[in-house]
Amino acid sequence: MKLLRGFLWLLGFQLLGHAVVELLSLPVSHAMAGLLLLLAWLLVKRRLNESVATASQALIPLLAMLIMPGVVGVFFVIDEFAGHWAAVMVALGVGTFLSVLTTLWLMLRFMPKEADSGDERGRLS
Amino acid sequence: MNELYDSLLDTPTLAVALTLAAYLGGVALFERMGRPSWCPAVLIGAVFTAASLWLLRYDFADYQRNVAWLTLLLGPATVALAVPLYQQRQHIFALWKPILCSLPLAAVLAAFYAVLIAWLLGAPPAVLASLAPKSVTAPLAMGIQEQIGGSLSLMLGGLLITGVLTTIFVSLLARLLNITDQRILGFALGVNGHAIGIVRAFELGPKAGAFASLGMSLVGVFSALFLPLAWKLFGS
Repeated sequence: MKLLRGFLWLLGFQLLGHAVVELLSLPVSHAMAGLLLLLAWLLVKRRLNESVATASQALIPLLAMLIMPGVVGVFFVIDEFAGHWAAVMVALGVGTFLSVLTTLWLMLRFMPKEADSGDERGRLS
Repeated sequence: MNELYDSLLDTPTLAVALTLAAYLGGVALFERMGRPSWCPAVLIGAVFTAASLWLLRYDFADYQRNVAWLTLLLGPATVALAVPLYQQRQHIFALWKPILCSLPLAAVLAAFYAVLIAWLLGAPPAVLASLAPKSVTAPLAMGIQEQIGGSLSLMLGGLLITGVLTTIFVSLLARLLNITDQRILGFALGVNGHAIGIVRAFELGPKAGAFASLGMSLVGVFSALFLPLAWKLFGS
């Protein structure tokens, strides 16, 4: 029952996100607005509801499977983007190299040297 | 016989079963190959799905319509990502300064470099929009794509390639620049390589993994707010 109750919470926040986005005509997706609203609610309450935790632990591992039908489409748009594949590959390759380099440089520049207060901050799920 | 075949193809049940079977098959093969970081399980699963659609002469548009019964779960699963983000609040509060200095710029540049290069090479707006969310985790990137347009499939393909390239480039640059700080490597993996980067980060250690999840979540949320706005402003 915990799972179902948590699932209903998540659906509720998604619907709330839907309503907020449409009412304010915000340029974000409904689920994204639901995520932000749930996060805000958790931060205000400062306590993680057990059923929400259960449902999120059940759903998050499914994300890779849920996006797969979209990935399948790549094989069906090969012709549609014929002639642009070289541009796509160069943009992804060079772009990713540059952005990894920039992130590393920014972090080296701004991250305080490791104080290493044991390993307690390392463990998160 | 033909009628039976058509009615089977017409049920969402077959599309869902096919998807689950292909995904589980992809994961199984991925495990047998020794979990290679250059070939994520979902890519193998997608190849299996595409192959079975072709063998069954199953129209892709029909498949998409039927499998929507399953992918409906994507919505609540995306909302659920608030939970790990909430659990990382201590990291965010403790390191708000370096995060604030580096994260927005890193997230903007991750999109900007690729879009700029593709634009210089003459790619049309639909391709540019598909490349912009390339470093964002897939469920949030799909939300961005709803807003800015482009091809969902091209976007997801670009996402996978970006993830794989990130793991390669981070390893390479870590050696060249002599970086060993797990926090920095993990963050770079998550910021640029979303979920695929996180998997690699956890191989480096739990601290790198935690920072990768943090980087991925923050880039995702920031980009989901920033990219649609930027697209509106520049109207490309």
